[in-house]
Amino acid sequence: MKYTVPIGPIHPALKEPIAINCTVSGEEITDVDVIASQNHRGIEWIGMNRDNPIQTIYVAERICGICNFCHPACLAMAVEEIAEIEVPDRAQYIRVIQSELERIHSHLLWAGVAAHELGFDSLLHYTWKIREKVMDTLEFVNGNRVTKAIMMYGGVRRDIKDEHIPKIREMIKYYQDLFDKVAKLFLEDKTIKMRTRNIGILTKEDAFKLQAVGPTVRASGVKKDVRQDAPYYAYPDFEVKAMTPDMLTGEVVGDTYDRIVVRLLEVKQSVEIIEQALDELPPGEILSEEKIPKLIARIKKAEGEAIGRHEAPRGEDIHYVKLKSGFENLYAWKVRAPTYSNIMAWKPMLMHHQIADIPIVAASIDPCLSCTNRAVVLGDEEKMLTAEDLHKLSVKKTKEMMK
Amino acid sequence: MNIDEIIEALKEKGLEARVQARMAGVKNKVERKTLWVDVERERLKEVVEYLIEISEEFPHFSVISPVDVGDDVEVNYHFSVGYGSYMGEIPITFKVTIPKSDLWVPTLTDIIPGTIFSEREIIEMMGIDVKGLEDKRHLFLTENFPDDVYPWRRDETAPKETNKLYEGWKE
Repeated sequence: MKYTVPIGPIHPALKEPIAINCTVSGEEITDVDVIASQNHRGIEWIGMNRDNPIQTIYVAERICGICNFCHPACLAMAVEEIAEIEVPDRAQYIRVIQSELERIHSHLLWAGVAAHELGFDSLLHYTWKIREKVMDTLEFVNGNRVTKAIMMYGGVRRDIKDEHIPKIREMIKYYQDLFDKVAKLFLEDKTIKMRTRNIGILTKEDAFKLQAVGPTVRASGVKKDVRQDAPYYAYPDFEVKAMTPDMLTGEVVGDTYDRIVVRLLEVKQSVEIIEQALDELPPGEILSEEKIPKLIARIKKAEGEAIGRHEAPRGEDIHYVKLKSGFENLYAWKVRAPTYSNIMAWKPMLMHHQIADIPIVAASIDPCLSCTNRAVVLGDEEKMLTAEDLHKLSVKKTKEMMK
Repeated sequence: MNIDEIIEALKEKGLEARVQARMAGVKNKVERKTLWVDVERERLKEVVEYLIEISEEFPHFSVISPVDVGDDVEVNYHFSVGYGSYMGEIPITFKVTIPKSDLWVPTLTDIIPGTIFSEREIIEMMGIDVKGLEDKRHLFLTENFPDDVYPWRRDETAPKETNKLYEGWKE
């Protein structure tokens, strides 16, 4: 007898809206269907219809709360290539530092979520406690924990000042001291090993065919990392190497455990990159064009197309931009977040495993559905709701609650 | 396989590649190059198969980005080959231009299964038919989304009513 178990659209294990319909035969999963259309915000459409391309940077930042630097980074990379906008050396370094700070906090957030999916909540609290260190550093340097508004075409908006550096160095020391402890907690624990070893295997061949990216594909032994393959910003100075699980464990299995290994190694690598970047931080300007109207005029005149690729914490992030001379905003803007590619890998990972493995395997790719689903608002009987309707509805709801 | 070899290999198939370059790095300056290739719709499948054949590892497919350019729609297939080594990766974009009166592209899911999401997306977002694709359900838009509205178009089929949802929208 076959049954379909719906995980989602809103499920406690997934945090964000997506539906995974699993066909099961007893406890065994025999088919998987992913239904992504749960919360489409139409971000690309909004971005293409703003008043000017500068506003689109801030829209891009809101694609995802975690990768709030990666998306504007891709957009800026593409626009700068088309409009031939130079970026000062110091800004290139600051962009690298910001990207790596983001990777640390994203991977630690993920590690906590993974522990939670395994029912290991004390480890979740511990991981999130140590994550606060990088969040505090981000707040100290940028003035905000998330949506930091750092990116600008031709540079960055805020400098890393002398008084920020000791605090960042303190954070580097903190994580370097902690690495062995965290690695032991995650990699030597019997329960974690039992729940993740040989669970959710993605073979190298499936990884190629399904176009997986980031830690998901690296855990399957593919050395694919944009920072290494086609370095951008100041990354050529750092000679980043793609992390694969055999660097620590000596073998590649491609399971959930390996995905933990890869992310742990990447946190260590990010800390090292930040340390080197601080040592070599060049002096100078942080923005090549400070006058915004001039910048807008320049982008308006530009014509052409380009792609911006950035290694986000979850994998390769790619934005395609087309500019048309005389056109106010971006003529075309296509966003591909890493989760878009990675959720296709859920099927081979989940097949023939048990229902109880769904949460951790689903979480192992670090899905970010706000990135992937980019609001269509539809009322009953295909009626579109206007802003006025929505306002009326919210007033009605508030009145009901006050009764 | 380096970039010149790929350009040469594409030339053998009668395809002209346009190179776009951009500098990166501060102390260690390098040039990042991307290739752009115009491909006819009828030859797309053959060209992608050829790319799989000539590249050492299976080429990485990123996404399809279609652009409404008036009477035509440009469909960009973003690939990258040669990843896995320092500075080894070359992004290649195959651009297929199709008229709005005859909007279709062939499916690539039989050779690259990972293209399924992008193909389902261009059906709902741009109104392009993907011939040979079995699963044509909506991907991101809800099932009851109107059939003749395509969010990425720049003509009369673009969404209009939803415009009012955003504050500061100008007609």
